Amino acid sequence: MKQIDILIVDDEQRYADMLARRLALRGLRCKVRYNGQTAIETVSQEPFAVVLLDLRLPDLYGTDVLKQIKKHRPETVVIILTGHGTEKDRGRCMALGADAFINKPLDINRLESIISRIKERAE
Amino acid sequence: MTKALNRMLGTLWPRFHRSHDEHMNPYYTFQDYRQIWGMGIFILITTTLLPLIIMTLIYYQLVEKSIDTESLLRTERLASNTRRAVSYFLEERLAALTFTVNEMGYDKLNDSEALAEVLRNLKLGFGGLTDLSVIADTGTQVAYAGPFNLEGKDYSNQNWFIECQRNDAYVSEIFSGYRDVPHIVIAVKALRPDGRSFILRATLETERLIQTLSSFKPGEHADIFLINRDGVLQTPSRHYEGTSHRLSIPVPPRAERTRSLMMADTAGKPIVVGYAYIETQIAPTPFILMVVKQKAGMMKVWLDLRHQVNWIFIGSAVLIAVVITLTSTAMVNMIFDADREKAKTMLMAEQNSQLASIGQLAAGVAHEINNPLALINETAGYIKDLFMIKEQYKEDPELVEHIDSIIEAVDRCGTITRQLLGFARHFDVETQPIDLKHMVADVLNFHKKEAEYRNITLHVDIPETIPLIETDRGKLQQIILNLVNNAFQAIDNGCFLDIRADMAAPDQVRIAIHDSGCGISEEHLKKVFEPFFTTKKEGQGTGLGLSITYGLVQKLHGDITVQSKTGEGTTFVVTLPVRIKKESQI
Repeated sequence: MKQIDILIVDDEQRYADMLARRLALRGLRCKVRYNGQTAIETVSQEPFAVVLLDLRLPDLYGTDVLKQIKKHRPETVVIILTGHGTEKDRGRCMALGADAFINKPLDINRLESIISRIKERAE
Repeated sequence: MTKALNRMLGTLWPRFHRSHDEHMNPYYTFQDYRQIWGMGIFILITTTLLPLIIMTLIYYQLVEKSIDTESLLRTERLASNTRRAVSYFLEERLAALTFTVNEMGYDKLNDSEALAEVLRNLKLGFGGLTDLSVIADTGTQVAYAGPFNLEGKDYSNQNWFIECQRNDAYVSEIFSGYRDVPHIVIAVKALRPDGRSFILRATLETERLIQTLSSFKPGEHADIFLINRDGVLQTPSRHYEGTSHRLSIPVPPRAERTRSLMMADTAGKPIVVGYAYIETQIAPTPFILMVVKQKAGMMKVWLDLRHQVNWIFIGSAVLIAVVITLTSTAMVNMIFDADREKAKTMLMAEQNSQLASIGQLAAGVAHEINNPLALINETAGYIKDLFMIKEQYKEDPELVEHIDSIIEAVDRCGTITRQLLGFARHFDVETQPIDLKHMVADVLNFHKKEAEYRNITLHVDIPETIPLIETDRGKLQQIILNLVNNAFQAIDNGCFLDIRADMAAPDQVRIAIHDSGCGISEEHLKKVFEPFFTTKKEGQGTGLGLSITYGLVQKLHGDITVQSKTGEGTTFVVTLPVRIKKESQI
């Protein structure tokens, strides 16, 4: 079974850490980045199967980060995880190549099922 | 018939009496329309009718006064004429006696044959003479001509004889003598050649006098008669005879000339009395001439006229009152309508701004709460994860249950914040042509199973004539979905849901969603579009569904209203423009 690497990008550090721990408990390898710039750098250095991306970041727009990731590694699955996503945001993100759009607070089971579907596809 | 009457009353009766929009009261400029209307009518009617009333009363008084003066004058003139005739009647006869005594002298008259000749001649000249007698200064009757032989009778103690001796002539009252025929005695004194005096006395029938009097009588309401100075009637009176031949009204005071005055008769009716104390140039008389007229009779023409004037007055007063009431009602109605429109607009503006500010506040709160909420969610989830891993807690259902309840609460809060944000957010509106019939069918598809299961009758009436609507598909779908959801929650099994559409205006589509459910009470009806207002049990509804629907309809430049009656059902009516104007997009 191929190991899934996940990058969590969220400026709310404690939230990102907590989510990373929960996913780790589910056997997923997680890294955490707290701003857009470091996230883009990280993705360009090593591949991730899934990126969980917040739309509101301190330095960059989430959509710009999404564009960069898709540019560097188009195969990366990007799941938008945001606190106040509008229908318009969803439409824009999907148009930019996002694979899913989830509102906070999230249902971990739903996230897990999305990831496992991706895993199946990868296999 | 009743309809026409109602319509007429409707124009007289102002509209504010029928309006009971209590909740709009604070928005009216004028509160007491009843008072404004009443005062308006009162002031207008007073200012128009008061001068009219005063003028009429003054006119009545002037006319009555002039009629009084006129009737006094006329009565006086009549009395004066009659007096002259009566005086003349008596004077003529006294003069005839004076002429006789001077012409014939005592010696000739003392002869009964000669006296009878004189009586005959006088009867020829004047008529109405009964007898003649000559009385010596001792009071003894010395000669007599007439039907009774009273020769030798002594009059020396009688009142008339004494008076005649003193005044040289005498006129008696009218009295009935031995024959019970009313008559007057007149007498004149003359000197004999030897220096002693004698008296020639004549008895007159009163018939001619009474004829003379009645020839002056002008009509039904007038009465002409003679009384003596004590008020005893001398000639018959039709209306004013009291007990024992006395006058029933007071005897007027003595006056040299003919006079007239107003008084009241025994029944209290006003009368005009003209009177004269009759004097002749030869002798005083005991008579007072009375002319009595009833004022009512003289006023009859005027009273008839006044009757007509009164009717004209009443007619015009009613006309003025009706016209003023109509005008006032129309004016007050216009003000009231304008005021009501203003109040409606203000109420709506207030509701809108309330909803908008509540929306902004709610969005702000939702925004701020969402992040900590997400953190709570993950932390609780992590704790749960940890416990699930550790064997000792895995089997402890209580712990897991508690954590699950935290997660469930967070989930509920998440729903609320999402809906709040949806309520407040101003999305771009993306328009596309939409077939309303298809959309409603799509939405009802979600509910088909439930409707079958609950035996709910769905009825859709959307005519083919409804054009394609250019609007935002997602939002319109959400609006219809929300309203249908709402209706499904409100109705019991076996009820019906009715969706129909028509054109409210050439450029406006109206969609009515009617359910036969439990209805909404009046106090709740005002609040249904407010966020967090719900009548459902705690935890079962967020109270945001209808406020979101309201926000969505606003975004589509439409309008939503609700009508409901407890126990009968509820109708939501959404009016949408057929085409949203681009320039007014938010």
